[in-house]
Amino acid sequence: MTAPAERQHTKVTNWVGKSIRRVEDPKFLRGKGGYIGDRSLPGMLHVALVKSPYAHSRIVSIDTSEALKVPGVVAVITGQDALSLADPLPDFGPDPSKHTWRLLAAEKVRYVGEGVAAVVAQTRYAAEDGVAEVLVDYEPLDVLVDPEEALKPGAPLVHEALGSNIAYERTFTFGDVDAAFAEADLVVEDRLHWGRSGSQPIEPVGAIADYDDATGQMTIYENSLSFTSYLFMLAGTLKIPSHKLDLHPVPAGGSFGSKLWAVKPAAIAGMCSKAVGRPVMYMEDRHDALANNDHQGSDRIYYVTLGLKKDGTITALKLHSIEDYGAYIQFGVGHHGNALAQVVGPYRIKAVQYGLQAVFTNKNQQGAYRGFGSEVNNWMLERMVDLAARTLEMDPRDIRRMNFIRPDEFPYFIPTGNVYDSGDYEPVLDKALEMARWDYWQAEKIRLREQEGRHIGLGLVTCQERSVFSATEFWFWFDEPGAPVTSMPESVTIDVDALGNITATLYSCAFWGNSPETMAAQLIAEEFDVDPHSVNVVYAGTGQGLPATGPGGSRFTVMIAGAVEGAVSKIKKKAFAIASHLLEAAVDDLEWADGGIQVKGSADARKTLGDIAITAHLFKHSLPEEIESGLEASHVFDHPYTTMPSADRKDLGVFYPFMGHACHICVVEVDVDTGKVSFLDYVAVHDAGTMVNPRSLEGHMIGGTAQGIGSSLLEEFVYDENGDFQSGSFLNYLLPTSMDVPTIKCGHYETPSPYTPYGIKGGGEGGRMMAPGAIFAAIDDALEPFGVRVRHLPATPERIVEALEQAGH
Amino acid sequence: MSQPSVRVSLTVNGVGYERDVDPRTALVDLLRDGLGLTGTHIGCEQGVCGACTVLVDGTSVLSCLMLAVQADGCEVATVEGLASGPELHPLQEAFWEKQGLQCGFCTPGMLMRAKEILASDPAPTAESVREAIAGNLCRCTGYQFIVESVLDAADRMAGSASESTTAPKS
Amino acid sequence: MKSAPFTYHRPRSVPEALELKHELGGDARVLAGGQSLMPMMHFRLAQPAHLIDINGLDELAFVRRQDDRLTVGARTRHAELLEAADAKSSPLLTQAVAWVGHAQVRHRGTVVGSIAHADPSAEIPAALLALAGEVTAASTRSTRTIAAADLFDGPFTVSLADDEIITSVAVPVSAAGTGTAFVEFSRIFHGFPVVGVAALVQLDAGVVSRASIGLCGMAANAVTADVSGLVGLPPTAEAVEAAARAAVADLEPPADIHGSTKYRKRVCIALIRRALDEAVTNAGGIR
Repeated sequence: MTAPAERQHTKVTNWVGKSIRRVEDPKFLRGKGGYIGDRSLPGMLHVALVKSPYAHSRIVSIDTSEALKVPGVVAVITGQDALSLADPLPDFGPDPSKHTWRLLAAEKVRYVGEGVAAVVAQTRYAAEDGVAEVLVDYEPLDVLVDPEEALKPGAPLVHEALGSNIAYERTFTFGDVDAAFAEADLVVEDRLHWGRSGSQPIEPVGAIADYDDATGQMTIYENSLSFTSYLFMLAGTLKIPSHKLDLHPVPAGGSFGSKLWAVKPAAIAGMCSKAVGRPVMYMEDRHDALANNDHQGSDRIYYVTLGLKKDGTITALKLHSIEDYGAYIQFGVGHHGNALAQVVGPYRIKAVQYGLQAVFTNKNQQGAYRGFGSEVNNWMLERMVDLAARTLEMDPRDIRRMNFIRPDEFPYFIPTGNVYDSGDYEPVLDKALEMARWDYWQAEKIRLREQEGRHIGLGLVTCQERSVFSATEFWFWFDEPGAPVTSMPESVTIDVDALGNITATLYSCAFWGNSPETMAAQLIAEEFDVDPHSVNVVYAGTGQGLPATGPGGSRFTVMIAGAVEGAVSKIKKKAFAIASHLLEAAVDDLEWADGGIQVKGSADARKTLGDIAITAHLFKHSLPEEIESGLEASHVFDHPYTTMPSADRKDLGVFYPFMGHACHICVVEVDVDTGKVSFLDYVAVHDAGTMVNPRSLEGHMIGGTAQGIGSSLLEEFVYDENGDFQSGSFLNYLLPTSMDVPTIKCGHYETPSPYTPYGIKGGGEGGRMMAPGAIFAAIDDALEPFGVRVRHLPATPERIVEALEQAGH
Repeated sequence: MSQPSVRVSLTVNGVGYERDVDPRTALVDLLRDGLGLTGTHIGCEQGVCGACTVLVDGTSVLSCLMLAVQADGCEVATVEGLASGPELHPLQEAFWEKQGLQCGFCTPGMLMRAKEILASDPAPTAESVREAIAGNLCRCTGYQFIVESVLDAADRMAGSASESTTAPKS
Repeated sequence: MKSAPFTYHRPRSVPEALELKHELGGDARVLAGGQSLMPMMHFRLAQPAHLIDINGLDELAFVRRQDDRLTVGARTRHAELLEAADAKSSPLLTQAVAWVGHAQVRHRGTVVGSIAHADPSAEIPAALLALAGEVTAASTRSTRTIAAADLFDGPFTVSLADDEIITSVAVPVSAAGTGTAFVEFSRIFHGFPVVGVAALVQLDAGVVSRASIGLCGMAANAVTADVSGLVGLPPTAEAVEAAARAAVADLEPPADIHGSTKYRKRVCIALIRRALDEAVTNAGGIR
């Protein structure tokens, strides 16, 4: 595939670009959202898990006899039982046969919180009573928590079958790295550590499974599981035929990635339902969500070097990263694909060396968290640009401006082979500087330091937000991938009924709190000239479904726009054929206008969509033979711009082409006694191409920034030196409250994509992808008199104080 | 191991109920599972997230930390009681207009807390609202549009809100 | 996270409550606000076989000033104390209570409940120590008072007999020339304090005549800190700093993920300084 044809976005839009009220809201406002926990089936039972208190241990035996006597307990299924009831879970890792992931641990546990048995009971209360009576005999093994220790021979093996703790290692070079460093006048180097945090939506994952042994059909309701084409893997786990799994999506109370592909809860519920012959709900509670949810975020150490000319031009980037994946590696090293999509940021860096070692440790595994590994790259790169600026005594604005890719260089191919479709970075920076009152705060910083001994700092970052991932980023890591999948489609069915009322059917678990119904409705409204609130949006289960991938990687709006565009085109083609017959005019003499079809330039010779629809549904015999009854169409929209990697992997192809950009500027104050960071001002200017609903996008900018604040200052999954999990409650895993997040002043800039409907780019992740770099830059700036540089995220108050003490304060 | 049931009589959104419950049943579980009022949500069961906030005798409480039996004789108000049939409460209209929700999971607790805030302070400031909702966590919005929604609701309830240009036609 | 089963009791009078506690002893815990006990029960860290719910004991819902004492009954909620006119007579108690959790927690949680729960991070026990208050512990056998200094006996432990219930707490009313402050450092807004300081200073002609500090987050339970070195001195910046450092020098706070021993001591010194400054200001001193 080559680049798609470039689109001209000239249409003046009626609905795209309007901040209308969201279509999905009334049910949520009334408390009738229909979340998974709100649902039940007759005779439904509940599951609670027996979870390991040890980080690494053999399971010697499990005695379930006392648990089975607990009133209300119906069954106890151990990991050993599960070996015959369920196959391993779907796993996109490098070598699943050697790092096998099961829904319950069988021979040994690999992290505190791993499930070893499932108790099925009449109520969740009774299930937990049963859990308390299950007796597990563990034989503790040596624990591995340090990823750099994991590299050493002789370290405890998390997966004996693998023979090592290294799940994957490889170094890639893009461009002529040696020449680029030879060109440099100086290098700056650092070691940086981004620690793991995670989505923790207020609603955990939950699944209800109902196995009908009469038909062999397994019906599952879950607040997850898109990637519908891949669900045969879950069916395989459950040992049922792939076409007998019908998965019904349910609105999710937040996800931020963690409900993208939450297979384990669905598998646990499904296995239990099949085993006991009744519907079964497995609802994670908060402890499950913290300890055993399989979606911890990136946990990455960087050794990084930037090559620069003395005028500030960046010539080369070289890094080695050690990624602590925890005990399993369900998504392989896709997080680094996300990084490679925008590894050079908005800068004209010509050469990159990217080394990666992915290691296993005794922690819960990583999954997806807003940014999926690219937010870490943004943070690292901006830390290095700031170090370069400090070293060269350059203003942080100037070093960025001079390295920016220029507007006339788009579409711009970065050294990895990915493309940035469009962009214009200087106006975004200028707008942010103006909104943030840069000069005012610089003066205030000095004045408050001198007059009141306060420590204020300004931080500025300019970073990318890639959107709409291609499947290739999951396998271009291997010269001979086992499954070089290439499709990540999204589908829609649009139905116009006999009265002209429109229904759109979505096929993925599209609703996480993003606005898929509003997006679909606004786009359909734009095409059919109807009020978006008149469009009915429904969801189909996979049993009736078309392929769909759901939200993730900021893809949903672009992909549903493509699906809608395709379906609308088919409907309009049929509508034109019918109108041609009704108006007795050639199709070429007709035009769409104001919700109907008319003879070009002649508003009198016209049929509304309603006229056409009723004819289509009811008056078949008055239409030409070849026109079938009905007025609906489906469209499967595949990724519009993906190219294959080269055999030598020096060019990874195009895999994340729709490239947004943002500038964040924050002003912080650091209390040097306690290390506490508070915000005095915060500006976020984002370019996500054409905005469909600006208010909705702003909501994501602000919410994402709040999560970035959490990851930067508060949130961390802590495993101590014994692998004991210290973050098993909200007393320890700290989410920001309303008083911990400042007012975020939002600005917008639009460089439409030449490749997408209306020029839309994805924008849902950006806030979290920018905030950490800005906050760290501001902390360094506030502590500049002490010569402190923060290198470890989160920058907890104690880490800041340690940095101050090391600098002599 | 089950303990003697205890009878609890309570009024929820103006409707009287009588149930025999296992005394360890949390109020939120009685509302959701016992009475089918699933609008009040569970986020943490440890009193941190505030998603389970309801009004008991007009005062906001965490219904995950209150036993159902402790609500005996009480009047409980939940999100389901806000709207009057098809007509939304001004708070619900405001949250809709200002996009004070994304996933909606924290929203019922926010609405009930907001109702209490406005009852005691009908003309709050952005600062006072932001502080008053600090016991209700939201993971989606970053709180800003929630603050704007509560302020908008205050205007509506004082009768001075402007017409929405984006409200759907009924 | 659901609690283990228990038998529920709701006494209708204090004597009935005491009878129950006498009969059930250590197998029964008192349930007041439940804001601390219920989370522990949900994690099954506490699994009492019996709960004695005292929320029906209206006779224990009071805030009463009598002469030089302010007494608060065991059913009094944090929010009720904050609204009680008499509570102004002991500002330090009110200052501490204002820091407890969020609105919903203060609507149910009780002042006495927080004391009886004795979380080493909790604010009210620290204030009680700084005030040298006392609790009334009742049983069917006797009613006695326990001074704050004798009450806290390790993490989540108070020195009560198995059959005793705390029915009220009493603190002295603020004397003339007294200023108080409660200062805390927490990671998130109104989260559990990492370190909290309750400070009381009495000034006499510009010189400190009394100084008292209670700390939370600095030991296995709330503790006092010795700032007696300030007595007799004008509260200058140097004197306050020296007193803060001396007060912390011998403490060995237990470490957890929110703060190591060394970090807590550093923060504590800064907070004692800030609390003393604020207390001095509130006492009418110039800072």
